[in-house]
Amino acid sequence: MIELRNVSKTYPNGTVALRDINLKLDKGEFVFLVGPSGSGKSTLVKLLLKEEDATEGEVYVNGYDVTSMTRQEIPYLRRSLGVVFQDFRLLPNKTVYENVAFAMIITEALPKEIRRQVPMALALVGLSRKANMYPHQLSGGEQQRVALARALVNNPALLIADEPTGNLDPETSWEIMKLLSEINHRGTTVIVATHEKSIVDEMKKRVVAINKGVIVRDQEKGLYRDEDKNTQIFY
Amino acid sequence: MKIRTLRYFIKEGFVNSYRNKLMSLASILIVVASLIIFGVFVLISLNAKHNIEIWKEQPQLQAFCYEQLDETQIRRVEEIIKADDRILSYEKVTKEQAMERMREKLGQEAAILDGYGADIFPVSFIIRLKDVSYSDEVVKDLEKVTGIEKVSYSHDTVEMITRVSHWFSLGCSVMIIIFLAASVFIIANTIKLTVFARRKEISIMKYIGATDWFIRWPFVVEGVIISITGAILAFIISAYGYKAVVDKFSQDAFFAQTNLLSLLSIENVWSKIAVYYAAIAVVVGASGSFLSMRRYLKV
Repeated sequence: MIELRNVSKTYPNGTVALRDINLKLDKGEFVFLVGPSGSGKSTLVKLLLKEEDATEGEVYVNGYDVTSMTRQEIPYLRRSLGVVFQDFRLLPNKTVYENVAFAMIITEALPKEIRRQVPMALALVGLSRKANMYPHQLSGGEQQRVALARALVNNPALLIADEPTGNLDPETSWEIMKLLSEINHRGTTVIVATHEKSIVDEMKKRVVAINKGVIVRDQEKGLYRDEDKNTQIFY
Repeated sequence: MKIRTLRYFIKEGFVNSYRNKLMSLASILIVVASLIIFGVFVLISLNAKHNIEIWKEQPQLQAFCYEQLDETQIRRVEEIIKADDRILSYEKVTKEQAMERMREKLGQEAAILDGYGADIFPVSFIIRLKDVSYSDEVVKDLEKVTGIEKVSYSHDTVEMITRVSHWFSLGCSVMIIIFLAASVFIIANTIKLTVFARRKEISIMKYIGATDWFIRWPFVVEGVIISITGAILAFIISAYGYKAVVDKFSQDAFFAQTNLLSLLSIENVWSKIAVYYAAIAVVVGASGSFLSMRRYLKV
């Protein structure tokens, strides 16, 4: 599903964001990507979306060779996966329904398909009744659920969430995480970059910890911070 | 591209130009201004060409005899003209006819001729040639004939008008290029503003997998909407303006009687103007959009 081989990223200003990353995600996995601000989490997500190019190494996402991909191919990579951001990124002058439908319009989907898929996606996130509202009329949690519906409406095999709960209160954060977990149960591979310690600890999923640009821990059913000092790897 | 996508682009183009009303209006006005200048140039050159054609089709010479020639001398001149096989036909203008024509030309001021006799006018012959290419040699030959004072020749006029219209076109072309370039840049600027106002939206579209062209097309449509609107306004203004000029012209006694200049009627020119305007509008609008996108819509 996702594979990074010896990936390094140095920004033009000389900042080394990632150093020799090797990571493999299989189909149907749920992975937390954790680490402090500036650790390289966001850069990793950007590499997966080809918002940034790796300086070294190879990146494979959803069967796409991201490293050698041309600019013209990027939209098709992005269509094959759903993305959710901390700041929701909804179109302010479109309704909830239109926001979700828009992800299908850009793929030139049939109107019949759009009319079928959009209500389904909205039902999944529990927002069927708010379909005709505008983003500013919704709470933060609801807006993030709209973003989730939009990410899922094209039935992607992979969902990438970059700090999806960063702007939400703890209770709403939980709702979003549960939703992500449910989506994962339906077969979608989910990767969540976060620093919500309590949620990561509670959910007992695979945890990949990054610090200063290197993977310091990759653990099945892990915690945000590794309590067992013996498995802690220092670089 | 699918029809529904096209419909989306057109709708977005309209929405964009409406959101950006003030700049759209400014761009429309500059397009109108440039197109009207272009239109004036086209109309003048069309008419110049039309008149030159008319003059060329009628290679007329007018040979004037000395006023003091008597009947026999005039008859001798007439014989020479008659004998020339390069001449298709000729018409004799007697002293009386010449005076009458002058009276007509003068109109209300004809009174200044009172007290003069027809004697002061020369007898002349209006000569039509079989072919315009003979004109130079015929003029030369006629000027040698005793009794003929001078030969007036429309070729000079044609040449002068051709020369004047040549320089006129050159000047106009320069102005048109400047104005069209200004239109392109102002449209580009307008679109740049739309792009700037919608940069967040554009980045969202990119994240959810919109192709570059899916993002760009609405802006191209916006540019074309601006320039087409400008073209329609310019067309209405120049059509009415030209009609007013033609009406005024046809009422003018001097031009109506002398037949010196004939203007094309609006029915003859509107389709040409419309085609030119539409073509320019599409080119200017689209290139304006492309220019702004090349620089500011690196998606």
